Amino acid sequence: MSEIPLPQAAKRVVPWWLLRHETMLAVILLIALIVLGGLNSRFLTLDNLLNQGRLTTEVGLIALPMTFIIITGGIDLSVGSIVGLCAILLGYSWKVFGFPLPLAIGFSLLVGAAAGFLNGIVITRVKVPPLIMTIATLALYRGLAEGISQARSVRGYPEWFYFIGQENLFGVPAQLWLLLIAIVISAIVLDRTTFGRTLYAIGNNETAARFSGLPVDRVKLIIYTLSGLMAGLSACVLVSRVTTTRSDMGIGYELDVIAAVVLGGTSIFGGVGTIWGTVVGLAMIQLLKNGLALTGVKGDATIVVIGAVLIFSTLVASSLQRRRDGV
Amino acid sequence: MTTHPHGEAPATPLLSVRAIEKSFPGVRALSGVSFDAASGEVHALLGENGAGKSTLIKIVSGVFPPDRGEVLVNGKPVDLARPDDARRAGVATIYQELLLFPELTVAENIFMGHAPRAGLRRIDWRAMHDKTNALLASLEIHDLEADRIVGSLSVGNRQRVEILRALSQDARILIMDEPTAALTEYDVTRLFDIVRKLKARGVAVIYISHRLDEIFAIADRVTVLRDGAHVATKPVTETDAAGLVQLMVGRRIESLFPKITVPIGKPVLEVKDLERRPLTRNVSLTVRAGEIVGLAGLVGSGRSELAQTIFGVTPADAGEIRIAGQKVDIRSPARARSLGVAYVPEDRGTQGLVRPMTVRENFSLAALGKVAFGGFIDRGAERKLAGDGVKRFAVKASSLEQIAGKLSGGNQQKIVLGKWLANGPKLLILDEPTRGIDVGAKAEIHRLMGELAAQGLAILMISSELPEVLGMSDRVLVMREGRIVAEFAREQATQESIGAAMMGSHENAEKVA
Repeated sequence: MSEIPLPQAAKRVVPWWLLRHETMLAVILLIALIVLGGLNSRFLTLDNLLNQGRLTTEVGLIALPMTFIIITGGIDLSVGSIVGLCAILLGYSWKVFGFPLPLAIGFSLLVGAAAGFLNGIVITRVKVPPLIMTIATLALYRGLAEGISQARSVRGYPEWFYFIGQENLFGVPAQLWLLLIAIVISAIVLDRTTFGRTLYAIGNNETAARFSGLPVDRVKLIIYTLSGLMAGLSACVLVSRVTTTRSDMGIGYELDVIAAVVLGGTSIFGGVGTIWGTVVGLAMIQLLKNGLALTGVKGDATIVVIGAVLIFSTLVASSLQRRRDGV
Repeated sequence: MTTHPHGEAPATPLLSVRAIEKSFPGVRALSGVSFDAASGEVHALLGENGAGKSTLIKIVSGVFPPDRGEVLVNGKPVDLARPDDARRAGVATIYQELLLFPELTVAENIFMGHAPRAGLRRIDWRAMHDKTNALLASLEIHDLEADRIVGSLSVGNRQRVEILRALSQDARILIMDEPTAALTEYDVTRLFDIVRKLKARGVAVIYISHRLDEIFAIADRVTVLRDGAHVATKPVTETDAAGLVQLMVGRRIESLFPKITVPIGKPVLEVKDLERRPLTRNVSLTVRAGEIVGLAGLVGSGRSELAQTIFGVTPADAGEIRIAGQKVDIRSPARARSLGVAYVPEDRGTQGLVRPMTVRENFSLAALGKVAFGGFIDRGAERKLAGDGVKRFAVKASSLEQIAGKLSGGNQQKIVLGKWLANGPKLLILDEPTRGIDVGAKAEIHRLMGELAAQGLAILMISSELPEVLGMSDRVLVMREGRIVAEFAREQATQESIGAAMMGSHENAEKVA
């Protein structure tokens, strides 16, 4: 075994292949931007890009904790249903229980966290696989939302509530600030803290993580709870943007969220992934949708293109992975 | 070109490997290695982990091509680009992890991929059955039936199925990678019988093992590799164990078990009437500061289970644990860690190491609290911790950012040990600390254990290797069926007495000794 002197190699803090994957994604994103921008003059305008940021916030807020969960090798399919449940409870508690709106917001966030906590507790205590548990609660939470709403929608919120969903702060959509702050915090937590390190350790080898005395179950409980909480927050932003509450809100969010996370290079088998990757994944999906729509591509065709991009990036990622493991 | 300075050179070796070179990113795995094996010869391949044995085998079995050099079968160069090419050239490899289909029968496993066909390419089940029986008969194996499900067989019998599979493909060169690692004494004897029969048939057997006594029992010639280079090829009659070890490590191993006598201090671990059924029953034991207590027993006697109960992986149902005199309740490894208990588990790959993570990350995994402030990891402190560990334990890694799983077994074990010592524990539980690692690394780990005990660490060592237990322990405890059945002071402990206690009868003791 030839020895490379330690100090020289120690400078390379981030493994090269991780850099490569995200760099590659960013390059694809850049090319897509240039091509779509060339096809349509309205696409590459600040207004349009900021507006796309507004539209991607609801999915983005959920994608951050989802990145954590997928890094541990888990999954949370119930997030879309939690969005629906929280949205309904926001409207219901305000209109029917007569809660003041701030209290109703707090209540719906609490319900989101509780819904995630329930996922987490069953996954860690009863050892039900996350896929199965969250498929079950996907149905359960959606059913509750529909049962409570009785197909009635709630409208007519006070004007101030629309700020977060519709107004700008310093020229940038208000909810985008929320997303940016969440991104920065998540990235720091994942990259710099013992909590983040524990997530990677669980995803790579849960037994060894446990045997090393890491609080595996507590960390899992936290991320599923966080996932529910962020789904609740996403619900509030969504209601504020569309000014109404319906029980079918958030249907299919889980797929958009997981697509963005996986497109961003997070391994569905756990152990690998970054927040930056997820951010690029989010941007890619939203901008492709928007760019193609502006260029006159029909909705169905847009989905086809997004699917193709997902497959393509997975292929490139796995070929990079194979080269890395080429011993 | 072939190097066998003393060995008699066969006219045309069945297999000949010439000046093979192979590099992987950052590592030169083989540099100009030549090797040959004649028909009817058992040629042992020896070397420390990381010496290049596996790479050489993989090249011969077509897993990956060499960068330079050539492979000749029967004097003719062959291109082994894929495993299938090697199979056609008559090379069969039996890896440590047997590659069988547990749900299928013996016959189906043997003929997987080349089943005899009847009309319309249907599988000819009768022919397959008959051929299997013929193969079994040819090796005089009488306790295996063609239609047994492989999953129900013992490890020894599964290995025989692999050998039969190789023979069914007319393999003339058989490579066996540590075939006895998981075998019982009896199965080893039977394996050797089969190897001798294969020899008589003119098969060339390349035999890899860490156990030197086996090499003297079965091999004709032995080739030693070190750091990817060919060191020597000799007939086994012209060398001895000490000579081989010296060739392998390139230096003299002073003493395999450098036990230092140190003053024994106060009890660090006191266990009383510990219960966790079915494999921990009414266990009481004490380990003192500076003391190494060996825990012997057969596989399945409950030693690892006891260790994991003390460590909080499987918390006790009843009984009492005291650490440094304080009664404690250990319900999780995290709690055990905070009490100063460290556990180096038996299964490095799945319990000890997070293999896809880097050397740095593995070193700090059990000591994150030491390098983090308010939950934030201080990268500098972490690098220093890992760098110190690499130096202290002489871990051979290309950098701190190397993936830990790519290191050799001995180096992986040093990391697992190092990550626990980074925490400054009071009690160290070692579960098979030197299993599957090479002589050099083994000696280093033994030396380290001596040093740690001298510093006042209490050590509980589980080992299935009696010489290790005898050599390292101040006291030996023997477990059987979840209970501690015997205790020996260092002076009283002998292979015979421990063996007898392990087996639970004095008649059986003769066999173990």
